[in-house]
Amino acid sequence: MTGTTFGAVPWGPPLGEPVPRLDGRAKVTGSARYAADHTPAGCAHAWPVPAPVAKGTVTAVHRAAAMAEPGALSVLAHDDAPRLGDADDRTLAVLQSPRIAHRGQVVALAVAETLPAARAMAAAVRIECAPVPPDLELTPEHPRLVTPEGAESAQGDFPAAFHGAQVRIDAVYSIPPLHNHPMEPHAATAQWLGGRLVVFDSSQGSNAVRDALAALFELEPDQVSVVSEHVGGGFGAKGTPRPHVVLAAMAAMAVNRPVKLALPRGLLPALTGYRASTLQRVRLGADTEGRVRAIAHEVDTYTSPLSPDWRERATQPTRSLYAAPHRLTRERVAPLDVPSPSWMRAPGECSGMFAVESAMDELAVACAMDPIELRARNEPDVDPHTGRPFSSRHLVECLRAGADRFGWADRDPAPAMRRQGRLLIGSGVAASTYPAEVIPSSARAHANPGGGFLVEINATDIGTGARTVLAQIAASTLGIGVDELEIDIGRTDLPRAPLAGGSCGTASWGWAVHKACGELSRRIDEHQGAVPAGGLTVTVDTTEDLATDDQYTRRSFGAQFAEVAVDVDTGEARVRRLLGVFAAGRILNPRTARSQLLGGMIMGLSMALTETSTLDLAFGDHPERDLASYHVASCADVREIDVHWLAEEDSRLNPMGSKGIGELGIVGTAAAVTNAIHHATGVRVRDLPAQPDALLEAMIAQGRI
Amino acid sequence: MEFLRPADWTEALAAKAAHPSAVPIAGGTDVMVEINFGLRRPDALIDLNRIVELREWEVGADTVRLGAAVPYSRIIDELPTELPGLALAAHTVGSPQIRNRGGVGGNLGAASPAGDSHPPLLAAGAEVEVASVRGTRRIPVEEFYTGVKRNALAPDELIRCVHIKRADGPQQFSKVGTRNAMVIAVCAFGLALHPATRTVGTGLGSVAPTPVRAGAAERFLEQALDEAGLWDSGGVVPPAVAGKFADLVVAAANPIDDVRGTAGYRRHALAVLARRTLDWVWDEYRGKEWGRACA
Ligand SMILES: Cc1cc2nc3c(=O)[nH]c(=O)nc-3n(C[C@H](O)[C@H](O)[C@H](O)COP(=O)(O)OP(=O)(O)OC[C@H]3O[C@@H](n4cnc5c(N)ncnc54)[C@H](O)[C@@H]3O)c2cc1C
Repeated sequence: MTGTTFGAVPWGPPLGEPVPRLDGRAKVTGSARYAADHTPAGCAHAWPVPAPVAKGTVTAVHRAAAMAEPGALSVLAHDDAPRLGDADDRTLAVLQSPRIAHRGQVVALAVAETLPAARAMAAAVRIECAPVPPDLELTPEHPRLVTPEGAESAQGDFPAAFHGAQVRIDAVYSIPPLHNHPMEPHAATAQWLGGRLVVFDSSQGSNAVRDALAALFELEPDQVSVVSEHVGGGFGAKGTPRPHVVLAAMAAMAVNRPVKLALPRGLLPALTGYRASTLQRVRLGADTEGRVRAIAHEVDTYTSPLSPDWRERATQPTRSLYAAPHRLTRERVAPLDVPSPSWMRAPGECSGMFAVESAMDELAVACAMDPIELRARNEPDVDPHTGRPFSSRHLVECLRAGADRFGWADRDPAPAMRRQGRLLIGSGVAASTYPAEVIPSSARAHANPGGGFLVEINATDIGTGARTVLAQIAASTLGIGVDELEIDIGRTDLPRAPLAGGSCGTASWGWAVHKACGELSRRIDEHQGAVPAGGLTVTVDTTEDLATDDQYTRRSFGAQFAEVAVDVDTGEARVRRLLGVFAAGRILNPRTARSQLLGGMIMGLSMALTETSTLDLAFGDHPERDLASYHVASCADVREIDVHWLAEEDSRLNPMGSKGIGELGIVGTAAAVTNAIHHATGVRVRDLPAQPDALLEAMIAQGRI
Repeated sequence: MEFLRPADWTEALAAKAAHPSAVPIAGGTDVMVEINFGLRRPDALIDLNRIVELREWEVGADTVRLGAAVPYSRIIDELPTELPGLALAAHTVGSPQIRNRGGVGGNLGAASPAGDSHPPLLAAGAEVEVASVRGTRRIPVEEFYTGVKRNALAPDELIRCVHIKRADGPQQFSKVGTRNAMVIAVCAFGLALHPATRTVGTGLGSVAPTPVRAGAAERFLEQALDEAGLWDSGGVVPPAVAGKFADLVVAAANPIDDVRGTAGYRRHALAVLARRTLDWVWDEYRGKEWGRACA
């Protein structure tokens, strides 16, 4: 892939305009239909029965009491559920074996005429099992910690360089398990029509759902249709097919009726992935001028036996972040008998950057340097990991622009010096970064003879505004207004496209939409501008456009600034101001872009102060399973928050010149907040979240108050 | 599950007498959560929402008669002068949706030690009016809480209203939590000054099996204010007095370690809240000349 294989979308309205969401009205008036809003005639309802132990075998499933409930249709379990093919994802092999891999795994499914009846049945099913002691605790000495292939990198001689460094930082940071909790819990409505399977699913990518269902039910892909027209958020939890959709399809097969299954929120942490907790050791060796000579980032984390290849790739950003000749990264992972972790907004990058950006702040303090100058001093010329140039990298510009807006210039670096009554005030900064990837996609564009256009692509809009931005790309390419075309997305019957994930949706889909619309324009020109009676249709695929040799590292960057106030009497920390300045190529729609970046920053603030979960060693799952006990920041916790971006021109990305922005906003936020807490109080928060009791204790222990 | 919908108070009492195990439902912000989480599955619900008088309040000479189902949002809007402590506490309950549905009757029915209306009711002085087909009785609020999530209601009784003393002086409420809204209190404290009788009232939340008053702290503060002539002079409360008051408040607590905080942190934070609210009410007292004789 080079900068020459694609033409650029003409830059100008409607691209780059704050076009309101095309589906906004449908959503606020309730006419937009989500997966569970579809109720085919004769639809039955299902409710899962979770495994009561962390590990063991189901020895008996007692169904009599459940089947005695009025409206009972069936209780499916491993002993009678339809056999499934292999979909290469063991979390999807539901009800295929009596083995229990983790607490909360679905061991039976109640199906009934109504939702209340299904719930009552599920409560009445009695599962007998032979438990086995589970392995639940991650420690640095865990005997099954391994370093998978590719999870390690080394350059130069880190141990010697670190040993010889004038200034050394060696610290361990920890992040608890974190849960995605999109507003819409996972849901699917499944229906067999003859030999065809039709599913409404709440998913970030229905093509992968179709492929998985086809493999599991041993069908051809074109015998399966999956619709994800509107999706109420995902944050990665809907990035791959999840067990609920398989269960719904299986139940529909078993009772020979359409079946709807909406997961109760309490089962999301066990069944739809989460950010596994990480223990991260960061070592930085520098000279007294703050030039980093040696950098090491080592991460211990875990996965479940059902997802043996998963790991939270927390060292990934460190590889490309700062210049240093001597480098080491290593990720170790242990299989524990816990629910399967998976993607959560900026997987890997978000976890890792908390540790690295905290360590950089510690280094700035140790070198008595301004943290922005420290970062500028360690800016690499090329990607230090691959030796390739960056397609564009404006981290330092973001830091400087942010410093101006935030009023950083007057900042006294000394910690625990600014008091307003019983509050200590401080400010902090951290960098953000995220890969800017592209995945092959196809798309179709159609011109009607009477005027008007239709653009079709199986992109997914999980609330981001993707539908709107794709319409803008199409309209700009065609030289028309967004109201002169129709955009159709969110169904596997449309041209195949990748998921809404990895911050690569808009780049990947947009490229295909641009290509289709560009070729359609040329075809119309060939007809001297007159669309023939049958209309004109162009279908394209970008696989070949993307296949060329890659010479560049492509990443977005940003800088986040936080001001906090910490109550010296109670240890309560509150973020007073949050500012993000980002460099993410061209911003295609400032309205939807702002809300993506803002949402990421709020989620990062929440990660710093309130979000926490526990892997309960007594039971083997997470007790914080609802939004009453899992504290996401509330509106009252988010005061002044400001988002800006630089005008970044990068011709080596895609026809739009854009980088993904769905995840960038959450990366680095937590470190900016905890660095500000250090500036306010002198207490270094290395274990998230910064909660009042621990912070107060640390302030007292340090004699700060 | 049976769903009973009495049209008025008499019918409601009759329904409760006939179905003593039926669960009353007012705003439903506790009941529906419990049902949803499978914590209880009553065989009958008694819906109180058709009973108009439960949503009414009346201000008398000395007390406010607050219907059991007056939602928090109306307490905030309509009674901030008469019931300032309760209005402040109501502000911190849940979210706007919860404040539009939930009320004091439900908070008393649930009798959670973390319920936010309890500290201001204890501090202001209140009586809970409960009734059954057998008759009506008024229970001083401090006797209403009998254990963790237990109260003094007999199986056939319903809460009709709460008689709360009208504020005759400044009142404050403060709560510590892990975020700024939608949060169950780690600990909470309510304080009321009664200049007319030269007394003070306290209420402690989330630091004992039930909401409690700190009687010794109240008596100490009353005496200290009296002896130093501060009610008349409006002089500053000496730090030593505030400190001792806070210590006595903490002595009335019996907190536990739980997911929201440790017992040690709760004691510490409670002392902070006691000093803080004392500062606030005393500043207000001095500023507003609440019935204070001119010195
Ligand atoms: C998201 C959320 C946030 C919340 N936040 C807070 C908070 O910050 N602070 C707080 O204190 N609470 C909070 N709550 C709990 C709840 O809102 C309060 O306890 C509220 O006061 C309950 O009032 P209600 O009318 O909804 O009660 P209901 O749920 O209707 O009833 C609660 C209990 O009281 C009984 N009851 C109700 N009325 C009567 C009556 N007249 N006679 C006898 N028994 C009766 C019911 O049977 C039940 O046992 C929250 C709840 C939710 C769901």
